[in-house]
Amino acid sequence: MSNFSVGFRTSGSVQVLELNGELDAHTASELEAAIQKCLDAKTVCIVVNGKNLQYISSAGLGVFMAFIEELREEEGDIKIAELQPRVFNVFDLLGFPMLFDIVESEADAVARFQTTNGDGA
Amino acid sequence: MNEGLFRPIKAGMSVVLPGHRWRSWLLGGIALIACGLIAGYHVMMMQGWEPTTPAGVIVYNALVLFAYLVIYLLLSDRFRRRPPTAIRVFWLPILVGVGFVAIHFAFTSFARLPELSEIAPEPVALGFEYGTGRPLVPATVFNMNVISLAGAAFAFILLLRFRDLVLVKRTKASRRNWYLMLGFMVFASALTFLKSPTGELNFWQRLATVPAVGFMVVNSLRLSWIVFLSLSEKLVSILMSLFLLVILAGVGIMEDSLVASSFGLPTSYTFLKHYSYPLSVFVSLSVIFGILYCTTAVLSLVFHLPTTSDYQQRAGELAAMHSLTNLVGQVFEPDRLYEMIVASPIESGAANAAWLAVPARTSATLAPQVVATRNIDGGRIDQFVEVGSLYEEVAETGKPLLLDQALTDHRVSARPGDGIGSLLAVPLLARSEMLGALFVTKDVSHGFEKDDAEAVGLFAAQAALAIDNARLLEERIEKERLAREMAIAREVQVKLLPQRLPTLPGVSIAASSVAAHEVGGDYFDFSTIDEHRVAFIVADVSGKGTSAAFYMAEMQGIFRSLTRLAPAPRTFLEHANATLSSILERSVFVSVIYGVLDARGETISLARAGHCPAAAISVDGSARLMRTPGMGLGLDRGSVFSTALSEEVVALRPGDVFVLYTDGVIESRGLSGDQYGYDRLLEVLRKNRHEEAHDLHKALTLDLTDFIGSSDYDDDMTLVIMKWHGIDVRSLNQSAVPEEAQMRPA
Repeated sequence: MSNFSVGFRTSGSVQVLELNGELDAHTASELEAAIQKCLDAKTVCIVVNGKNLQYISSAGLGVFMAFIEELREEEGDIKIAELQPRVFNVFDLLGFPMLFDIVESEADAVARFQTTNGDGA
Repeated sequence: MNEGLFRPIKAGMSVVLPGHRWRSWLLGGIALIACGLIAGYHVMMMQGWEPTTPAGVIVYNALVLFAYLVIYLLLSDRFRRRPPTAIRVFWLPILVGVGFVAIHFAFTSFARLPELSEIAPEPVALGFEYGTGRPLVPATVFNMNVISLAGAAFAFILLLRFRDLVLVKRTKASRRNWYLMLGFMVFASALTFLKSPTGELNFWQRLATVPAVGFMVVNSLRLSWIVFLSLSEKLVSILMSLFLLVILAGVGIMEDSLVASSFGLPTSYTFLKHYSYPLSVFVSLSVIFGILYCTTAVLSLVFHLPTTSDYQQRAGELAAMHSLTNLVGQVFEPDRLYEMIVASPIESGAANAAWLAVPARTSATLAPQVVATRNIDGGRIDQFVEVGSLYEEVAETGKPLLLDQALTDHRVSARPGDGIGSLLAVPLLARSEMLGALFVTKDVSHGFEKDDAEAVGLFAAQAALAIDNARLLEERIEKERLAREMAIAREVQVKLLPQRLPTLPGVSIAASSVAAHEVGGDYFDFSTIDEHRVAFIVADVSGKGTSAAFYMAEMQGIFRSLTRLAPAPRTFLEHANATLSSILERSVFVSVIYGVLDARGETISLARAGHCPAAAISVDGSARLMRTPGMGLGLDRGSVFSTALSEEVVALRPGDVFVLYTDGVIESRGLSGDQYGYDRLLEVLRKNRHEEAHDLHKALTLDLTDFIGSSDYDDDMTLVIMKWHGIDVRSLNQSAVPEEAQMRPA
């Protein structure tokens, strides 16, 4: 009865994960598996699109924390875009905006990767 | 015939026995008196007395028949219990037969009157008066009585013992045939009532024996007991039957004076005939039945010898199946179960060697693993057979796999002489799941006939049932154990929460925490710093269940130790973050709201580390969320945490209400799927702001339950309400301090 799914999409060199439904303790493992898949494929620049994410629990937020260090060591990152206000509020209350780039649009998030990559190059 | 006599005694032996013994004594006494009277009659005859009327002869003959009926009943009582084995049946007739022949031989030899033996006919030679049949000397009387008694006893014992054989696996028909035979024997005998001892049977009397002999033949074909004998038992039975046959033939010969004398044997049914003609006929008929039965038994035994091993195997299979069926209900340790499962095909004789493969639980591939072997070295199976691929094939088809010529199969690398000529692999299926495979082998090719395969299939079915049972039980025990552990964990966790709330002048406090599961990640606590300051905390560990509960306990330790050393919100949280960061998993964090209420300074200072903001409601109805900046503990392990964190100090005014809670409250879902939300929370608090903390808590909980539509929560939920009255509420003579902090399961 999982009402959560992850859609895979690429935008240039960036992997976009579209989250649909509710991300909680039961469904967190699906996002975990999705990000692990990206890591295995050496795709370390990830944008998470939360347009269709209805709910996130603390266990769901934990998934981002679990991978962020490793991704950043590989010079990648997770950027979060298009969150619904109520979901953003959960991120915001915990102080996630201080750790992650959380932006209005997916294009913006992808662009940020290109800027940083451009800077790095 | 009293049918009760033949009913085997089962239960209640001790109850029946006293009556049984008493009856035996009575019958014995009657028989003794009757025999004495009979002997007395003979003595009187010897001394020249003649019965004056035919009635005297009739009374004598009736007395004899009565006496022997009593003796039959007496013996029938004695042999009421069937001997445990068929062989035991033969012993007694043989023994009594030998005794009878011996007595007969001895007594007739001594009794013979030598001076008459050459010329006189038989009866006269044995001491009976020619023509009348009157005994002439005491020896004749003695011999006549002893030999008649011995002869009748032999006939009765023979019948009673053979009855047990004939009535093995009795049916209504077989029992009827038996009693009809006895009936016709009695009838044929009775026809000779009052017949002269020297007379021969006439046509009608001979004809009357025909039905008796007919039923003897029918009863002689009742030989079911032979089937169940082992080879050695059969051989012993053949020997005993032959021996008994010889004895019976001997007795039979003695019956006929002409044949007997030509063999030089002592004749003499003569004694019996002089004693009672009907009795002698009955004894003769019994001997004929004995001869018939022994003959058919010997023949049948001989013919059954070659099939003995097949019957043995079938019996073995039955026994093995029986013990395996018992197992299903009794053995739950897998190892013992496996041993018994591989033992059964061997013990039943269906196979030479066997082993059992089950999917290895530890390996992720579920590769089959040989867990028990019989008659084959477990370490060498892999050299002989590719168990894995055979197992796979059986698993795919779900049907038994038979390799008639195992050595030619590419999955078998055994050589001739390794003992694997043919191989049968049977799946163990329970509830359409394959629990393993039973492999059995025979050292010859084409070793498994259809019935062998069926037997092994039955074993496998039973085995699957047993394993399945054991597994279910194990799972249940495990589940119960877990439930017990969780209950203990719950008790421990409940004790981590404050058992009583602090008392502080001017403040009323109410608090509760509900875990959605047995244990949760929510935590609240208070700590009295000094007589006018109390520190409070509400925390929520990310995730759910056991791991969250452990970190909750960690948080409790940190709070209780740190709050005395560093009570100020900012310092406390910085220290807590540093401590927790080294402990927490990377994906786990703790959101905390922490503060200090100062009753003397009339302030509340408070900082938020990623937690839901506290709700503050004033007496005038203004409500707000105290959303001071701050990150969850464990999210950042460096300076970002400190940079982000700030605290807020609020001057207390009488009537101020502060509500701390976890996200379980805000995120509670109503029947429509909506979240409870901040707005509704603030509205309810505002509406009830004049209530004292305890009642306010009650009102809020009620509203929550109303909203959810039931009292089942799917998240941990913690609620702490503090109300500042500004004066010592205790002076108002009312209980301002709810004594119990509660934690209850959803």
